[in-house]
Amino acid sequence: MNQLLRMVVNSENVEIYVSPDDTLVDVLRDKLNLKGTKKGCGEGECGACTVIMNGKAVDSCMIPAIKAMDANIQTIEGISDGDKLHPLQQSFIDNGAVQCGFCTPGMIMASKALLDENSSPTPYDIKEAIAGNICRCTGYIKIEKAVQEAAEMMKHECCCHNHSKSEE
Amino acid sequence: MYKMSVVGKNVRKLDSVEKVTGTANFTTDVELPGMLFGRTLRSPYPHARIVNIDTTAAEKLEGVKAVISYKNTSRVLFNTAATSTFTLPPMMPVLDQYIFDSVVRYVGDEVAAVAAVTEEIAERALSLIKVEYEILPAVFDPLEALKDEAPALHGECEAGKNIPAEKIHLEMGDVEKGFAEADFVFEHTFKVPVQKQTQMETQAAVAQVTKDGKITVYSTTQTPHPSRRILASIFEIPYSKVRVLNPPYVGGGFGVRIGLSAKAEPIAVALALQAKKPVKVVYTRTEDFIASDTRHPGYITVKTGVKKDGTLVSRKMHAILNSGAYCTWSGETPGVLGAMGLSMYRCENQMYDGHSVYTNTTPTGAMRGFGNPQAMFAIDSQMDIIAEELGIDALELRIKNMMRPGDKWVLPYQCQSTGLEECIKNGAEEIGWNQKGSFDNSGRFKRGIGVAVGTHVSNAWPFCGDYSNAYLTMQQDGSVNLAAGVPDLGTGTATTLAQMAAEVLGISFEKVSVTFGDTESTPFDIGSHASRTCYASGAAVVAAANEMKAQIFEYASKLLETYSDKIDIEEDHVYSTERPEQRISLFQVAERAHLAGIQFIGVGKVIPQNAPPYMAHFADVEVDTHTGQISVIKMVGVHDVGRAIHPQICEGQIEGGIVQGIGYALSEEVIYDKNGKQVNNNFHKYMIPTSMDVPEIKAILVESNDPSHPFGVKGVGETGLVPTAAAIANAVYNATGVRMHEIPITAERMFKAIVKNKNN
Ligand code: FES
Ligand code: FES
Repeated sequence: MNQLLRMVVNSENVEIYVSPDDTLVDVLRDKLNLKGTKKGCGEGECGACTVIMNGKAVDSCMIPAIKAMDANIQTIEGISDGDKLHPLQQSFIDNGAVQCGFCTPGMIMASKALLDENSSPTPYDIKEAIAGNICRCTGYIKIEKAVQEAAEMMKHECCCHNHSKSEE
Repeated sequence: MYKMSVVGKNVRKLDSVEKVTGTANFTTDVELPGMLFGRTLRSPYPHARIVNIDTTAAEKLEGVKAVISYKNTSRVLFNTAATSTFTLPPMMPVLDQYIFDSVVRYVGDEVAAVAAVTEEIAERALSLIKVEYEILPAVFDPLEALKDEAPALHGECEAGKNIPAEKIHLEMGDVEKGFAEADFVFEHTFKVPVQKQTQMETQAAVAQVTKDGKITVYSTTQTPHPSRRILASIFEIPYSKVRVLNPPYVGGGFGVRIGLSAKAEPIAVALALQAKKPVKVVYTRTEDFIASDTRHPGYITVKTGVKKDGTLVSRKMHAILNSGAYCTWSGETPGVLGAMGLSMYRCENQMYDGHSVYTNTTPTGAMRGFGNPQAMFAIDSQMDIIAEELGIDALELRIKNMMRPGDKWVLPYQCQSTGLEECIKNGAEEIGWNQKGSFDNSGRFKRGIGVAVGTHVSNAWPFCGDYSNAYLTMQQDGSVNLAAGVPDLGTGTATTLAQMAAEVLGISFEKVSVTFGDTESTPFDIGSHASRTCYASGAAVVAAANEMKAQIFEYASKLLETYSDKIDIEEDHVYSTERPEQRISLFQVAERAHLAGIQFIGVGKVIPQNAPPYMAHFADVEVDTHTGQISVIKMVGVHDVGRAIHPQICEGQIEGGIVQGIGYALSEEVIYDKNGKQVNNNFHKYMIPTSMDVPEIKAILVESNDPSHPFGVKGVGETGLVPTAAAIANAVYNATGVRMHEIPITAERMFKAIVKNKNN
């Protein structure tokens, strides 16, 4: 009945027994105690449970846990660099994009999947990337602005980084 | 007034790092050793008597630790709404709910609950409970429910058939005389829908009972102290033996849990008492839809008499609201609807009558705006009609009649400030009001601009009792702990309270730490509702800080060898105002006091007055006349917030409120089928605005500095929703020439109205 699931979560190898009805969100929250990923509906409609699986943003409540076999999973707990916040996290704070915070982990993960693929998103790209994530508090305005600014921050960081490399 | 160094600044919100890193703790995240999971069996019928309930099979299922129903739980009547704990005489609290009853009154009403070692087992156990129902006749519309032949949901009601609470009557002047003097009289009826709060964290509670009978409940409530009182009365133990706390974060509220989180708390406690283990109850999204309060839908009629020049001379309003199956907030909501509706404009002769009516639908209660968005959709749609009929500019008509300080109104407090005229002017500029009517609307797509204004409250008095307490303790290093009984729903309460404390004390913001949302470590506070935390709890914090400051001055006067009224604090240093070079750090003062056996402790107790925030909303919309689809191009919300303690937080409240208002205007409506079942009880079918639906939004702040608050603050939590629907409906009219008397203006409703308009 129970199967051994192997996956990489936030760069750590994980092995855990899961049952056929376990969803990825439940394994992350209840078995691995990664409670940053939230559950707002359990039906794939709100995006609160968004994590990055093999580079794509997914609703982890819609993924049977066993489907994550050998997958590479990133959750909100795994994106800052030690104490240094990820630019998206920093930008969400600076722009006041966080109110109750229940949608925030999912929003940040959906945005991160976008920025990982597209470093110069248009405002429309951003709207589209978070279209499956409901935020009932902010009205999205400050979230979209935060993502835009994070993209700029990351570009800047990364070109500085390249600079210093080429100077070396 | 103080020289502001922290107030008015966008300091980093105290909760933001935890929330962006996934470490913020919510009720749904709480796990306790040995914790069980509770699930609830709900009625499939809108009205039925439970003839028999057999739980034996469920009890026998392995892993099941408790099964409860009306047969083995408290028979104390209560009201899940916090109002039951501060209803002001002569109104009486309406107590019409048990945890479980032998009669169920709506689809979703609680029948039984199970606690088991896993959620799956609890769910399976529910299916083993055998219930025999005797179906009773049901009624779903409030106007139907008033009729003689309608079933009585709660037996005889004092105020009339199926009327749960007092009928509200407000009156000033003589309306009939006013109508007789008017040049024109307008009368319109409007219909408003069931809107759902859909806060992102569903209703939840985790209850723990100790061997000596003390109950601790981690809860999503917006009002820990009133919720503690409701729970203590249900379980008949001293209030002091119940601890209710947020863990500390709450995934939104918008009114849905002012009081208990529907019945999550009492069900969790009843299960925990029986199982003798901690129990967690988390509502599914569908349970949250069907079994926790919605906004009040209903019918509103407005009759207005005006002079040729647009002066309002008489206004009569009438509202019938659907209360759903239980009262919760159905006494107060029609009151706020009428009071806010009448108080928007100056008018000598006014009258309002309104009440709620029980029906066999989900209970309706508090939702952001609390009756006021309903009122303003009606009032400001009609103001637009009047402006057009009289050939007066819509802005001018509003400015002409707006309430100003000194004007008479029906409320028992004064309007002491208004920034509305400035709001209207700024907003008109931002939206481009002069473009109104200049769009090329000859084709399929028609564009229009609309305006609506609104007001609200800054706390709950006089609609119900309201007061706040807070205390501050200074530590030996000069840093400060602040304790206030309010929760922080994400509205930045903890941050703004800390800002106000830091400002008054002259210390840096970073040195203030806040404890909130916990009945055990904070003094009584009503909680987070009625746009009140910054205003009412803020005033208590300022009072506490002033008291602490006086103690510091008194003590420091000896150290500085001067008089205590010749001292001030700035940048964490105490100094003599006469000889500013005489400076000593607060650290030293606090430490010296400590060695002398003194701690500075400030206590603030405040019964707040009230203050009206004002706002003007502008909508720029485009209507596809072939489909009825409405796109909002831009929204502008200009708000008189009194004073912005944290401007970014104020903008966030306004933007969020506007988007909920767009939903209210265009897409959000809970629909019941003919058997009383919600048709759209999930996010897939209930249409909340997503990022794709949100237009450009501009939130602008105006500061009128209200004299009733030490920093001039007014409420801002609910205001963004209040005039949004009317502004959009007025823009739709400007675009199409079709007046909508019902919201939401779905594509279907719009299309039908366009066709009907053409045929006329
Ligand atoms: S919890 Fe997964 S989409 Fe809502
Ligand atoms: S911040 Fe509350 S739902 Fe987004």
